[in-house]
Amino acid sequence: MTFVTITFFLFLAVAFLCYFVMPKQHRWLVLLAFSIAFYLFAGWEKFLFVLASALIAYLVGRKGTKSSLVFGIVSIVLLLFYAKAGNSILAAFQMKESIIVPLGISYYSFSIIGYMLDVYYKKIECEKNFFAFLLYMIYFPQILEGPIPRYKKLAPQLMEGHEFSYERFCFGAQRALWGYFKKLVIADRIALYTGEVFSNYKDYSGIYFFVAVLLSSLQLYTDFSGCMDIALGVSQCFGITLDENFRRPFFSKNAAEFWRRWHITLGTWFKDYVYMHLAIHPKLLKLSKLAKDKVGKRFGKSLITIIPLAVVWLLTGLWHGTGADYILWGCYWGIIIILSTVFAKEWKQVNQFLKIDGNSKGFSRFQMIRTFFVFSGARLLTAPGDLKVSAYMFRHMFSLWSFREFFTKGALVGILSVWDVVIVIIGTLILWKVDLLQEQGVEIRKKIGQYPIPLRWVFYYGLFFATLVFGIYGPGYQASDFVYIQF
Amino acid sequence: MEEEILELLSAEFPEVDFTASDELVDDGLLDSLTITGIIATLSMEYDIEIPYEEIIEENFNSIAGLASMVERLQEN
Repeated sequence: MTFVTITFFLFLAVAFLCYFVMPKQHRWLVLLAFSIAFYLFAGWEKFLFVLASALIAYLVGRKGTKSSLVFGIVSIVLLLFYAKAGNSILAAFQMKESIIVPLGISYYSFSIIGYMLDVYYKKIECEKNFFAFLLYMIYFPQILEGPIPRYKKLAPQLMEGHEFSYERFCFGAQRALWGYFKKLVIADRIALYTGEVFSNYKDYSGIYFFVAVLLSSLQLYTDFSGCMDIALGVSQCFGITLDENFRRPFFSKNAAEFWRRWHITLGTWFKDYVYMHLAIHPKLLKLSKLAKDKVGKRFGKSLITIIPLAVVWLLTGLWHGTGADYILWGCYWGIIIILSTVFAKEWKQVNQFLKIDGNSKGFSRFQMIRTFFVFSGARLLTAPGDLKVSAYMFRHMFSLWSFREFFTKGALVGILSVWDVVIVIIGTLILWKVDLLQEQGVEIRKKIGQYPIPLRWVFYYGLFFATLVFGIYGPGYQASDFVYIQF
Repeated sequence: MEEEILELLSAEFPEVDFTASDELVDDGLLDSLTITGIIATLSMEYDIEIPYEEIIEENFNSIAGLASMVERLQEN
């Protein structure tokens, strides 16, 4: 059951009803029951994996020793590795069977590893109630694609038992609706184009590849951030605030800033649990001191940035997938971020030499467009699903640019209809305007809430019917799975 | 100790005004790269090991917090 099924809406309606009818102190049990039910929809065998992982992390937390921590982390990482690489290993041995991949394993594995480390380093108290711990791990709005939660922030909210608030419920529903708009109207419509070009790449070249790669960036943003809007909106209806995972990433001026705005909870997880541990490790500090004495101060100082960042980006690639495409993807981002961090001073000097005003609006816009292209470069490595296809597309991307063909028989008639193109453009313009207003600090839902009722309902019904009418779904069409579910 | 650390860190990180706030981390004046840089500088200068448990806002929010952490770790 994903967020774009009728079953989910029915499931949600019953969940809300049961939650707010139940006495406050038992409301967390409703969340637990529905989270287990949500998981069981994916298959009871998968649930056994989750149960085993929960038990490991729970017992490690209770024990609190270094050896139990090591055992816990190794076990969870091995289970994660099994889920990520199992099918590829079976295929390598030409075995036709496929393995059971637990739903949301990448997300819950990281959340429980963080929990075990936080307990060990005494940043939090361990959870004594196993079922409360299980709820933290599989709380259903976040199990599909995150956000990756922190125990300290989420667990107390889950256990609290929230009063029904009409305003909060409306805000949550509006946010979820906005997420559905992004997913069904924009992402799934673009998916028709990118899916066709990536699958039948031999039939296309030049401008088709260029447009497909750029559109796949927009598709991923609307798909993933749409799913997050649904998750955060649904959770808000219960009165539970999940961490934000996006902060308008396409307004970023460089790669490092982009990753502070895109998939935020994954970035902060790596920062807190990998980067910081490595960067302050005595052995690395010794190496840095040695390099400082032998090679030079700057090189020594840079080592404590370069080595942890390289490890973090390799692991970030592996988290997304164990194939060569994602390893290369991790290296791509790692190299860009390391170079921009280590040579920050030189980049500034280049700008000064070229007499570029770093604070001007024009330069800021150039930086944002550049970041979008850098991101799209990374999409070229992974979106086609095979590095050979990526290489083929790259080789043919700059040849045979036939605008005429593209606008006559290609994009408008062959793959997408004129109508689809118009909807994508209008949808993207609305998205851009909303993101821009939010970037300027406007709280859109509050602002709309202040309008007179008739105008307010124009917005709400407009969005609702736009999603209903223009969304890609219906008989004979299966809404695409959310892209980040596969991770 | 406070003055010594202020002088040392101001020389290493000229872009940061360590006297601007008593909540350097909470106010966003120190990012993770700078924090790890501070840890490296203090570890080398005072020959101490700063364990992960010590990386909390309280220790990094001000020069006074850093000085008190260094003194505590030197005693151990």
